[in-house]
Amino acid sequence: MATTDPPDSPGSTNHSEIAHSSVTTDKSVDLDAIRDRLDHVHDPELDRSIVELQYVEAIEIDDGAVTVAFVLPTAWCSPAFAWMMATGIRDEVEVVSGVTSVTVRLSDHMHGDEITTGVNQRRSFDSVFEDAEDGIMAVQQKLDEKARFARQHSAIKALQQGGLDPDQIAPLTRADIELDFSSDLAAVTVQDGALTVTVARDPLAEYLNKARETGLVADESDRLFADREGEPLASDPESFESIVRDARLAAANIEGQGAICESLHESRNGVHFD
Amino acid sequence: MYTHNGEDVFVIDGHIHLWDATEENIVHEGGEQFIQCFYDYHTAFTPEEEQWDMDTYRQYGAERMIQDLFRDGYVDMGIFQPTYLTDFYDEGFNTTDQNAELAEEYPERFVLNGSFDPRDGDEGIAHLERLKDDYDIQGVKLYTAEWRGDSKGWRLDSEESFRFLEKCAELGIENIHAHKGPTIRPLNRDAFDVGDVDDAATSFPDLNFIVEHVGFPRVDDFCHIATQETNVYGGLAVAAPFAQNRPRKFAEMMGELLFWVGEDNLLFGSDYGIWEPDWLVPAVMNAELTQEERAEYGVELSPDVKRKIMGENAAQLYNIDIEEKKEQFRDDAISQEFELGDSYEEASAD
Repeated sequence: MATTDPPDSPGSTNHSEIAHSSVTTDKSVDLDAIRDRLDHVHDPELDRSIVELQYVEAIEIDDGAVTVAFVLPTAWCSPAFAWMMATGIRDEVEVVSGVTSVTVRLSDHMHGDEITTGVNQRRSFDSVFEDAEDGIMAVQQKLDEKARFARQHSAIKALQQGGLDPDQIAPLTRADIELDFSSDLAAVTVQDGALTVTVARDPLAEYLNKARETGLVADESDRLFADREGEPLASDPESFESIVRDARLAAANIEGQGAICESLHESRNGVHFD
Repeated sequence: MYTHNGEDVFVIDGHIHLWDATEENIVHEGGEQFIQCFYDYHTAFTPEEEQWDMDTYRQYGAERMIQDLFRDGYVDMGIFQPTYLTDFYDEGFNTTDQNAELAEEYPERFVLNGSFDPRDGDEGIAHLERLKDDYDIQGVKLYTAEWRGDSKGWRLDSEESFRFLEKCAELGIENIHAHKGPTIRPLNRDAFDVGDVDDAATSFPDLNFIVEHVGFPRVDDFCHIATQETNVYGGLAVAAPFAQNRPRKFAEMMGELLFWVGEDNLLFGSDYGIWEPDWLVPAVMNAELTQEERAEYGVELSPDVKRKIMGENAAQLYNIDIEEKKEQFRDDAISQEFELGDSYEEASAD
């Protein structure tokens, strides 16, 4: 078994954030593939990858058996959120080629043992935390909806920067957007195909991912944007503006909480954010 | 008193504690975890050279507190917000009776708040009456998410809670500080919910509801309520230290809060001893919005607005006459002890 420093990633994902975590591998599984999968696991409240947030503490690979240890900004972080991340790690890593088993370990948490054992034994959240009132899916759905709404702010800003007006933005459907993955642009068709403009791709792509996850945008004909409650966006300037402001507030809340968690994480776990 | 560009700023620190987290006082492991978590908040947002060691942090004591607030921290008055946690700490963590020792020694400098928990029923009502009798409290600090036995917390808009709020109205306890935000065991979706403030604030228009930590991590939900209810306020503890190490985040947060909550409904608080006003007050006072931020939010963080947040808004809630206080502080015990009297003299007219 060899211990290696994490190599620079050849892929598009920036792995420098994971550099602080310890890695032990016998090369039976591609480490980069594991990291790419971990990057898909998000802190559900902060709507950011656990790799970016530097939660991953250690990765051990031994003849196909992979162990991932992670740590959160405080020992008091919501067990429900911790559970979602732990199951996310398990489910993402086990699909990597060559992986025969996945063990997840949550360290330094007041419910670390229950979560570690429960997730590795594939028990349900309700059976481990019998006093939890809400199902884990309901919590996840609510957080996803908040994240969707917050991401909408950047998406609409990008469209406005592309020169589009509220009455052009409000009626947009999924069919009107074409994401170009060979560049950083997206093409947006408005006014029944009479006009096509290009805008920044990432804010739209990130928004669409979350809009799909929440079920808001499933078909080509689905309207893209909605208010906090999921009601389609109105195009009159006043209500449009008030929903844009509300989405800005949702984003500020998530980013503000993210800043608190980053600072606590730095303080408690010795990581460093730029 | 703080001076900003030659102008006086009367500082009422709306959120201070005098706690005892010594090992002798801890009776449950939650007590140790609690103070460790507080310490993480301390180190996370305190400049390195200002950080305390853990022993000091466990119990800093009354003497250090008055120095940190009044001698070094520009604070003119402070509002004690108790945190009972009697399941974790033998004598309680930071109770009204503990705070009273200092508050009664310098009554002109402190506001002493009480607390209630509606799950205490008749006994709780008697406790509230006793606090009013003993200390003439004008406010309470509440922890709706506190677990007790099988209970996972309580709601401000419950029938039991309304009974206590009615009692507060009857006794003239007008300021209801609700701690929302980091909780003991946020297992449930609604552990951070601020929705219960809405109904309570509507039902008790004569009471003021101050949501501490501006509702983090539910600032958005809090803002929606505060924008509709004129008797809902935001306490800036936890948000304020952003001014020190994340100034643009602080500006953004203030932009949102000023837009939604308004300049008359925000209260500064250091959360002492989590953070100290000697670096926090200047950090907040020196915060500015860029031209772009002012345009985005349509608000100003002007010296006048800051003066409201730093003291005038709290003075309104607690019926404090700032000019009268300045006169009194030319020669009160604290000013004598720390030779602060001159700072309360009226500026001579040239």
